[in-house]
Amino acid sequence: MIGQTLDHYKILAQIGEGGMGVVYRARDEVLNRDVALKLLAPGALDKVGRSHLLREAQTVSSLSHPNICTIHQVGQTSSDFYVVMELIEGRSLSDLITATGLSMETVTRYGTQIADALAHAHDRGIVHRDLKGSNVMVTAEGRVKVLDFGLATRLEHEEISELTLSYSSLESKLVGTLPYMAPEVLRGQKGDHLRDLWALGVLLYEATAGRLPFRGNTGFEVTSAILREPPTPLPATVPHGLVAVIQRCLIKEPTERYQRASEVRAALEALQGAVLQIRHPSEETRGQQTLVLRGMEHLTVKNGDVLLLVGTNKGAFLLRSSRERARWDVAGPYFHGQGVYAMAYDGRNRRHRLWVSTNSLMWGTFLRSSDDFGRIWTTPLEASIRFPIESGASLKNIWQICLGREEEPETLYCGVEPAALFESRDGGESWSLVRGLYDHPHRPRWMPGNGGLCLHTVLPDPGNKERMYVAVSAAGVYRTEDGGNTWQARNNGIRVVFMPEKYPEFGQCVHKIVLHKARPERLFLQNHWGLYRSDNRGDSWQDIARGVPSDFGFAMLMHPHDADCVYILPVESDEFRCTPEGRLRVYRTRNAGGSWESLECGLPQKGAYETVLRDGISTDSLDPAGIYFGTRSGKLFGSRDEGKDWKKILEGLPQIVCVKAVVIEMDEAPAAKPYGKAKPTTKRKTSLRKSVRRGKRR
Amino acid sequence: MQILFKIPGPLREFTENRSDVRVEVEAGADLHKALQTVFAACPGLRDRVLTEAGQIREHVNIFVANEDVRHTGGLATAVPDGVEISIVPAISGG
Repeated sequence: MIGQTLDHYKILAQIGEGGMGVVYRARDEVLNRDVALKLLAPGALDKVGRSHLLREAQTVSSLSHPNICTIHQVGQTSSDFYVVMELIEGRSLSDLITATGLSMETVTRYGTQIADALAHAHDRGIVHRDLKGSNVMVTAEGRVKVLDFGLATRLEHEEISELTLSYSSLESKLVGTLPYMAPEVLRGQKGDHLRDLWALGVLLYEATAGRLPFRGNTGFEVTSAILREPPTPLPATVPHGLVAVIQRCLIKEPTERYQRASEVRAALEALQGAVLQIRHPSEETRGQQTLVLRGMEHLTVKNGDVLLLVGTNKGAFLLRSSRERARWDVAGPYFHGQGVYAMAYDGRNRRHRLWVSTNSLMWGTFLRSSDDFGRIWTTPLEASIRFPIESGASLKNIWQICLGREEEPETLYCGVEPAALFESRDGGESWSLVRGLYDHPHRPRWMPGNGGLCLHTVLPDPGNKERMYVAVSAAGVYRTEDGGNTWQARNNGIRVVFMPEKYPEFGQCVHKIVLHKARPERLFLQNHWGLYRSDNRGDSWQDIARGVPSDFGFAMLMHPHDADCVYILPVESDEFRCTPEGRLRVYRTRNAGGSWESLECGLPQKGAYETVLRDGISTDSLDPAGIYFGTRSGKLFGSRDEGKDWKKILEGLPQIVCVKAVVIEMDEAPAAKPYGKAKPTTKRKTSLRKSVRRGKRR
Repeated sequence: MQILFKIPGPLREFTENRSDVRVEVEAGADLHKALQTVFAACPGLRDRVLTEAGQIREHVNIFVANEDVRHTGGLATAVPDGVEISIVPAISGG
């Protein structure tokens, strides 16, 4: 098959083989992406079975969940029947489980994700029917993906009889399946979603103990054990809570088991905080518990809610409000003690994914994501953003996470230090260095600003997929017109006060650039001294600092609906990087820089020596727009009437380095439902004191 | 020969929560070789201890017995049989 083309899929390589057929890596030549293509063995199904499977696969293809392998297409030719799926790079759970089992923390983390996938499918009337370790993949980032939903061959009663009698001679697919089969299925019943919860119990047992709960030398013995015997006891070191969850999954009478996958998920979720305490009572590990277990209640997010992502130099916070934006629930700190300089929310393609860059002084910088509003975060084993070895460079920080254009929902960009642009075309799974910019002849002469040599702003042109702007401190604005292959400095008219030559081609310390999608040819720029506008895509810039107390500043924000409206927060000077006169004032222009007005109602006007950093201001997309900004002193302010009146939302946070506001749009039940006892917090103090660990942070 | 790695708390999520990881390396191996062995056993460690360019991270200290390897040849430091290698975060911070 290798090299052949099936429909528009070019078969590249065989990556697996199972009872039902062979799995290939294939190239989708229309969408230009690699996929997994499962080609069913010719004898795997008869005609009725095929049409049944076809209908079922079509139903399964409607599932959209971060822990379920997406089915792109089901197809058949005159001779072949095939299923096209998301290509998942990782290892199967059965490969990962060692002879002594996995850590409790890992079991609950994986188990929670599997249960969440089952809950999603069960809610839609889809039963997996063949859940087992080899059908669960774990990506390098630690994300679980359940494969082959509903695609298992339906074992008829006769086959089961055969299975139990001649275990050793059966095909491998059946041998692999038998130990996970629920008693009711072995008794010849069809079984409903509760059979999946049994299989989940077997899987959790296996992952915990490194062996199966029901064993035997023949199929008959295995079947007998499943039907009649209790599972082999788990090791005494396994926490009681986890034992209880597994036991309840493995109750032989289906009606006495958990009745919903979401119950298993909630139980595992609640265990995550407790696991380490029980397992490691020694003094030595207690220090680590303090570090890992410090936690909070998580947010429960609904359609239409406004979410604030707040990154600080010591961790991230999430805030949620209804559209009224009057009261905020707070969760955090996530990534305790680490700098979070970039955050983003990706709601494209029905995702609800938070992105965060975490920067540890000791252990480096990693890109992390959560698909459930912060309960579980990916912990990549390897850094996904990394400089090629031959460059000799190493990543210091990620300053910006930027979504690609709406019509490119799998595209993401990261601006990093040392100054470089990385892009992902697969929704953030893999990243590559944009060489056109990295190899720019100017690069050796770029100078680091106070924050290091960082690429802090990425602006794709919303109307032209070949055009993009980046801003580098201190190198200036660069633009590409050919999708990133070549880049031109675009700094004509921007003054550099700290160089002998005041208007060089590059070397400007640009602090922020913004544009509005309705007028993408027009850019606004806050410089290290200087406020500018360009009406010609950055070809030339003109000074627009009229009526501001200082043209020095960092933050700049475009109004979401008004292309003439821009907000800034001036600071006094490069030597005194605080608000002029100790007055915290936001300045706004509504005529594209023709004039500026002070917005200060509700903001402290005495002794307020504050600084708002370059990504410290954001807006939601509501009307009237909400404007939010955070200060280096850890205060978070918000206005729900476009800046007319301000209120302090929070104070006492670590130094705020980024704020992102988003309105959550869900077209169906949210991926993240309330779990167990988790309730939204209403007070910051409450959230900071809580010590129940429900998500993975570090 | 056997080498014992002492793992600091923040990295134990990659070592099944173990503070001690014992690895078997061939006689005469240097620190680089020993690290490669422990990274293979615990894959999350590598990118936390070394940069992608292969250098020990600036704020990570590695001790072979009681010697900071920055003063003993870096990754080429010899590791005798049975020695303890400690990965220690620097006390810097902000």
